[in-house]
Amino acid sequence: MSNRFQIANLGVGLGLRTTHYAHILEANPKVDWFEIISENYMQTAGRPLAILDRIAERYPIAMHGVSLSIGSTDPLDWAYLEELRALRERTNARWVSDHICWTGVAGRNTHDLLPMPLTEEAVRHTAARIREVQDFLEAPLVLENPSTYVEFASSTMKEWEFITALCNEADCGLLLDVNNIYVSAFNHGFEAAEYLRGIPLDRVVQMHVAGHTRHETHIVDTHIGPVVDDVWALFGDAYARVGGASVLLEWDAEIPDFEETHAEALRAHDFIAKHATARSALAGARS
Amino acid sequence: MTDRKPAPVQGGPTEVFMHERASATPNGAASLRETRPKSTLKRPDLRVVGAAERAPLALPLRDAQVWFASAITHPESAAAGDDDVDRILTSTPRMSALDRLGIYHHAYRARLVECLVDDYPALNYGLGAEAFEALASDYVTTHPSRSPNLNAYGKAMSAYCHERAAHTPFEHHAFAADLAALEWALVEVLHAPDAKTLAPEALQAIPPERWGDARLPKSAGVRLLSFDYPVNAYFQAFRNDAEPEIPEPNASATAVYRQGTLIWRMDLTPAMAALLASLFGGATLGEALEAIEAAAETPEALAEAERSVMIWFREWVQSGFFATIELPA
Repeated sequence: MSNRFQIANLGVGLGLRTTHYAHILEANPKVDWFEIISENYMQTAGRPLAILDRIAERYPIAMHGVSLSIGSTDPLDWAYLEELRALRERTNARWVSDHICWTGVAGRNTHDLLPMPLTEEAVRHTAARIREVQDFLEAPLVLENPSTYVEFASSTMKEWEFITALCNEADCGLLLDVNNIYVSAFNHGFEAAEYLRGIPLDRVVQMHVAGHTRHETHIVDTHIGPVVDDVWALFGDAYARVGGASVLLEWDAEIPDFEETHAEALRAHDFIAKHATARSALAGARS
Repeated sequence: MTDRKPAPVQGGPTEVFMHERASATPNGAASLRETRPKSTLKRPDLRVVGAAERAPLALPLRDAQVWFASAITHPESAAAGDDDVDRILTSTPRMSALDRLGIYHHAYRARLVECLVDDYPALNYGLGAEAFEALASDYVTTHPSRSPNLNAYGKAMSAYCHERAAHTPFEHHAFAADLAALEWALVEVLHAPDAKTLAPEALQAIPPERWGDARLPKSAGVRLLSFDYPVNAYFQAFRNDAEPEIPEPNASATAVYRQGTLIWRMDLTPAMAALLASLFGGATLGEALEAIEAAAETPEALAEAERSVMIWFREWVQSGFFATIELPA
C-alpha cells in the first residue's frame, strides 16, 4: 500500500465485461479483482444486478464511472450520486472512480469524456465539486486522467499541472491511466516522462492499461487489442515511480475470450516483478 | 384459434448482444451528414466576449462547454455555422483544430448509434446497416440523452419509426416499428426488477364457483405485445442465423418475460392475447372469457378455446404472468 489514503493494493484485475459473465460464473477463475463500469448497473433492477451480485460475492470490486461529469458547469446530479453510493454499498466496492472531464451540459449527456480547459477557473470549479462528492460518499474520489484529442487555446497550464492543482485543492485520489498518458502525449506533443514527473504519485490508488488505435495523425483510446509494448514500458516506469498500486486492463472492443484477456492483464506482473527486484536490490545496496 | 400452445422460446438480449458502455472512444473519422434536422443546443454568442478577431478566445468555462457540446452534437459537422473553432481550440503540426474537434463529433454519434445497434440487432439486420444507421443517426439528433446512463436510451425507437416515416419515408417502417417494440420489450424485461408473481398453488385454493369473479393483475415482469407483423418469428429466425426476409403483414401477439436471468418470448394465439389483454386491463376472469366468446370466429374455435383455457392458465401462472389473484370479499 503506497497511496496516502491507505487504500489497499488489490493486485492485477480485469474490467468486468458481459461477454465473460458465463465463464466467470461457471469456471470461477482466479482473478485478483474486477472493475465494473458503474453506470452499467444503475437504473436497472434485473439481470445485470443479479449477475453482479454473484460476482461481487466472490471477488473484490471497484467501481469506475463514466457519467459523474465532475467538471461540468451543470449542477451535480444528486439522484445519480445516491444511486452510485447505493451500488457501492451493494457491491462492497473498495473505491469509486471516474474521470477528470465533463460529459454534458445544459441537461444533456454526450456520454463522452470531454476535455477541460486547463485553467485556474476550471481547477476551482472542479475541485469544489470533488469535495462535495467526497463529503457525500465519505471517501476519497479517485479520478482518472483522460485521453484527449483537443486542447483549449485558453489553457494556462499543462495537464499534469492541472491535475496536481486539482489534487491539492480537492484532496482526491488518482487513477493513473498510462495508455491515456501515451495517447495524449502523442496527440498533443508532450513527453510522457515529464507528465509522470509532474503528478502527485502518492495519490495514485489504481492504474489502467489498455490498447489503442494509432492513426497517422493521432491516436484514439479505443481499448481494442493487446497493450502495445511502449505502453507496457511506460506502465513499468510509472509503477516503479508510484511504488505499487492496483492494476487493471481495459479491453472494450473485439474482446477475446476470458483466458486471453486475463493473460494480457497478467503481463503486468512482468513489470511489477522488475520493480520488486529493483527495489530489493536498492534495499540490499543500502543495508 | 387453436388449443396448441405455442412453446415459449428462450432468448432476449444475450451477452453477445449486450455490449456495455465503456470509457473507450469509438474509432473512425469525422462523418459529415448533409440532410439532418438542426441541432437545438444553442451556441453562446461569442461576439459578447469581444476578443480581437482571430486571436485566441478564452471563454468562461460555462460558455466553453456549451460551445463544445453544441459543436460535437451538431447533426452536420463540428464546424457548421462556426468560424471560431481555431480561436477556441489549438491545432498541432499534424492536425487542424477542426479535425481534432471532429474526433469528438464522430465519437458522439458513433457511440449512441452503437448503443442502438446493441439494443436493436434484428432491426439493424432487417433494415440493413446503411438504412438502420440513417434511422439511428436521426434518432440521435432528435433524442439527446438526458440520463447519466444509456440503459433506456433507445426506448422511443418504435414510436420514432412512425414519426420519422411521416417526414422522411423509409421502406418497411411499420414492420420496423413492430420489431423495435419487440426488441425494446426484451431490453425492458432484462432491466425490470424481479416481480411478485402468483404461486401455482394459489390457484388450487380458489373454489370453482368463484373463478368468474377473480381478477388476475399483470406481473410487473411481463410485457404483452400485439403486432401487425409476425415479428417474433422474424426475431427467432434472425437469432437462428436463418437470414429471414421481411415478412408480409400478419397480425401476431407475443408475451415477453424474464424468469431469473433468462428472458423468454411466448407467441400467443388471438384468443390467448384477447384473454390476457382483458385480464391485464382489470377485467374479471368471467368478463375476460366473455370477451373470448365474442371474438371467436367459429363455434369450433370457441369450443377449442374453452377446453384450452385451463392449460393456458397453468402455463401463464408457471411463467409468472400474474402478480396475484384477487377475489371480492
